[in-house]
Amino acid sequence: MGRLLDLVKSSYSEKRRIVAPLVGFPGVKIAQSSIKLAQQNHEEHFKVVSSLVDKFKPDIQFVLMDLSVEANALGLNTLFPPDDSATVMKKHGKFGTDELALLEKIKFDSDSRLLSYVKTVELMKRRFPAGVKVGAYVTGPYTLAGLIIGAEEAGLMAARHPEKLEEICVFTNDCIMRYAELLLSAGADAVCVLEPSGVMLGPSHFEKFSVANVKDIVKLCHTADSDCIYHVCGNSTHLIEKMVESGVDGLSLDSKDGGIYLSEIAKNIQKNIVLIGNISPSRTIVYGSPKEVKEEVKALLESMDSFPNYVLSTGCDLPLETPVDNISAFMETGRNYTISV
Amino acid sequence: MSVLENLKENVIAGNESKVLEYTQKALDEGIDLEKILNDGFIPGMDVVGSKFQANEIYVPEMLISAKAMKAGMKILEPLLTEAGIEPIGKVVIGTVKGDLHDIGKNLVAMMLEGGGFEVIDAGVDITAQKFMDLVKENKPDILGLSALLTTTMVEIKNVIDAFKEEGLRDDVKIIVGGAPVSEDYAKDIGADGYSPDAASAVNLAKKLLGK
Ligand code: B12
Repeated sequence: MGRLLDLVKSSYSEKRRIVAPLVGFPGVKIAQSSIKLAQQNHEEHFKVVSSLVDKFKPDIQFVLMDLSVEANALGLNTLFPPDDSATVMKKHGKFGTDELALLEKIKFDSDSRLLSYVKTVELMKRRFPAGVKVGAYVTGPYTLAGLIIGAEEAGLMAARHPEKLEEICVFTNDCIMRYAELLLSAGADAVCVLEPSGVMLGPSHFEKFSVANVKDIVKLCHTADSDCIYHVCGNSTHLIEKMVESGVDGLSLDSKDGGIYLSEIAKNIQKNIVLIGNISPSRTIVYGSPKEVKEEVKALLESMDSFPNYVLSTGCDLPLETPVDNISAFMETGRNYTISV
Repeated sequence: MSVLENLKENVIAGNESKVLEYTQKALDEGIDLEKILNDGFIPGMDVVGSKFQANEIYVPEMLISAKAMKAGMKILEPLLTEAGIEPIGKVVIGTVKGDLHDIGKNLVAMMLEGGGFEVIDAGVDITAQKFMDLVKENKPDILGLSALLTTTMVEIKNVIDAFKEEGLRDDVKIIVGGAPVSEDYAKDIGADGYSPDAASAVNLAKKLLGK
């Protein structure tokens, strides 16, 4: 279907923007399903994401965001609330090399829930209208390490025993790569690496535990002629240079509330990196009115007019309770907008 | 460098074993307990807090400093009690119902300890009822509420409302924080204070107690 940057450039030459909100859970309401069902069954999952494609016609549709897929496949205790995303339970106790050796024995990529995400991507690729790109998510290596050993423990280990943590991140990345390979074979046009816990690190730690590993995911995506996107939540301004070093095609960045000023970042970034963002999911889209959504989207688009390398999106994933009318307002404003340079 | 300077530097560096060593050394040299606190631990954590605010250090570095300080404080605490030296105030802190995030709350708790407060950590996923029980039981000066999800932020308000309904609101100052929480929100829901990070939480707590 062609790579993201080409698509973005060609639509810019027609004075249009690619529109791709990070939206998944609101589809559960539209399709009258439940998050739990959709995160465990590919037919149901497909029903949810295709209801979004039918209703909003985005340029890229992602699967449901779920940071527990890989961790759960590694046998970690996971909660499945009916109407909230699956969540890995808090880790108690110490994690040592013995535990790592045990995890290495798990046949990670034959986990049925992980495979249900792969099958969902397959269905999306086969059945979505031509022109809708299929996006998949993987958990980032540092975030997955944090889910396994505990997020606080990972932070402590970064400072105290970086070499140990590096070893764990190489292991987590190996798992992630195996999952990414399956997603790419199933037809994912883009793989987005979710590294929310990375925001807690300084640039050099981020490079060591995340970027150094994500580089391999990027290569894998490129071999499959697909794109790789980095997503870090919150104020990741201090990490942007490092994210770019990984060779990714796009950066999906959080909202202004999170401290990200997209047009400022656009000024300082290479033109071959696509910036994706960054309307506030909570303040604007969950709690705002359709009118406020329109105004914010318009203001953001205007501020990005002089930058070709941009995709209109939300700063982060939209939760279940997002009013559908606000998503429509977001889409309409994005679609009707004409770039004025 | 003097023992206390060494203590301070090792708190900043987050070197737990050295902090333990210099705390013991300071005690062996007969240095006054309050002086160890005021010229060793507290200025050390002050530096850590300002470096964090200035983006010179990040969560891992702050965590190891806080842990190192906490380890040193463990030696001092029984001695402080024995000597009848009172903490400057008592705080109960926890993360609200439905929310399991605790790194930020733990940092706030540790910084408060470093700032001379006695802290009772209630943990995560705490109901309004449990907060009320803890306040009745421990009679803290301050209650700290943390929420990291937009969906659980509303639970902070529920806790404050529950305190009002039970007639407990005037017994305790309530401070709030966590990524989605803002100064405006804190005012709206009737909290006594908000702070964006752990370092300023200590100043806030002191200010509320007029210290
Ligand atoms: C680590 C993390 C986790 C870990 C938590 C581990 C742990 N033991 O805490 C795990 C993996 C378990 C997790 C789970 C989830 N998480 Co989470 N998580 C994060 C992350 C990456 C970092 C949070 C953190 O620790 N920051 C570092 C600390 C130091 O900062 P802080 O918490 O803000 O605290 C500082 C201040 O706020 C303040 N402060 C904090 N509390 C208080 C209290 C008082 C009284 C005061 C004065 C000050 C104060 O001082 C602190 C120190 O300076 C954030 C992303 C982000 N960028 O923030 C997401 C984030 C908070 N999580 C999010 C989500 C959605 C979830 C899940 C629902 C996802 C899922 N399904 O897996 C679950 C929810 C589980 C639950 N029910 O709580 C979203 C929230 C979106 C929203 N706005 O609602 C975020 C923003 C990421 C995102 N955009 O998707 N998460």
